[in-house]
Amino acid sequence: MSAEGNAATFLLDGEEVPFEPGQTVIQAALAAGHYIPHLCYHPEFKPHGSCKVCTVEVNGRTTASCTLRAQAGMEVLSQTERLRKEHQTLVQMLFVEGNHFCPSCEVSGNCVLQAVAYDLDIMSAELDYMFPNRPVDASHPEILLDFNRCILCELCVRASREVDGKHVFALSGRGITKHLIVNAESRRLADTDIAVTDKAMEVCPVGVILRKGVGFRVPIGERRFDKRPISAQALDDAPRRPSPKPEDSA
Amino acid sequence: MLEDCGAERTQAVQISGPSGTCIDSTEFERRIAFEDLPTAGAFMAFDESRDLFEVARNFVHFFAHESCGFCTPCRVGTTLLCNVMDKLQQGKGSQHDLNQIFRLSRLLQSASHCGLGLTACNPLLDTIKRFRPAYERRLESLEFEPAFDLDGALERARAMTGRDDPGAHLGADE
Repeated sequence: MSAEGNAATFLLDGEEVPFEPGQTVIQAALAAGHYIPHLCYHPEFKPHGSCKVCTVEVNGRTTASCTLRAQAGMEVLSQTERLRKEHQTLVQMLFVEGNHFCPSCEVSGNCVLQAVAYDLDIMSAELDYMFPNRPVDASHPEILLDFNRCILCELCVRASREVDGKHVFALSGRGITKHLIVNAESRRLADTDIAVTDKAMEVCPVGVILRKGVGFRVPIGERRFDKRPISAQALDDAPRRPSPKPEDSA
Repeated sequence: MLEDCGAERTQAVQISGPSGTCIDSTEFERRIAFEDLPTAGAFMAFDESRDLFEVARNFVHFFAHESCGFCTPCRVGTTLLCNVMDKLQQGKGSQHDLNQIFRLSRLLQSASHCGLGLTACNPLLDTIKRFRPAYERRLESLEFEPAFDLDGALERARAMTGRDDPGAHLGADE
């Protein structure tokens, strides 16, 4: 019980978790230091609920914990054997859907997909790879887009729209052909008004949106998830106000 | 119902569309009712000339095409199911592929965002349950059959080197 004595709480895997009105299950859990695997959720954005990696069980039903409002007395399970298998399969699906080669990826060690996979003890994809053909966009002088790694979380779409006010990115297509596109008639990033200081530049959980000229500035082995597993960094993903853009403070 | 439409030698009836329930001839006495077999009003009757595996394969391709792509389980899962069914159709399947269907189906039913993913596996689960021989006779071996043709992959090397002697074929020295 919290110090107030009457704060609203719910049970997460048997442990009491306090929450503020309006918080979703994952927001309250992360704020209390309890990790639930997630990919499309970001602490500064409204929950999206598309990756489903944060699926939990509540009163016998499964649902995404990022979009589920916390309610007093709820009994939430996130670590049952069945849910763990489902979390693993969902992450494996994202691996086989795109082209992910961790050893040669600039984001290795900072990649949320990679970190979640390690944390779930995923050792192989198990499913059949789809090997989609996704050409990169190197048209912009300062930014590289490698679509091979896109997991369709829409964070860059949301950041560009809600924070930058630019609508540089969008998702197009349906079903398995769904893909990230650039909002320019030429479909090239060079013909958009994106800037390296944009919020959209810093939210990609994988290695799609890369700044040119700074690759491997932080060596492999000294990156965010090289030091501690992602499950030990729950508090870093607790809900927070959007951080000011670098240009605002300059 | 079957008498009314003049159906003969019926082996299966699909109640409602592809996401409904598929029943076999032992269940034709069941009732169309909310409590038993709810329906949206559509029926598909399949006579004995039909292959229920091909019916199910057609249905999963339909669902993969219909998936909007918003959530991971449905977007990727329906396509993976198509790939497994196509693999079975080519005679390259094994027991592992049937297990894969069950594994993917459970995930789609549990984690999908909407009812499309939730019900996309119904035609597979119903037909495997009731018409399992239609699946199993496609498995060259219930144990393992590699989908990758190793000897076939050597064809280019054989063409380049101009060789076609037994030593240039896998398994020739056994």
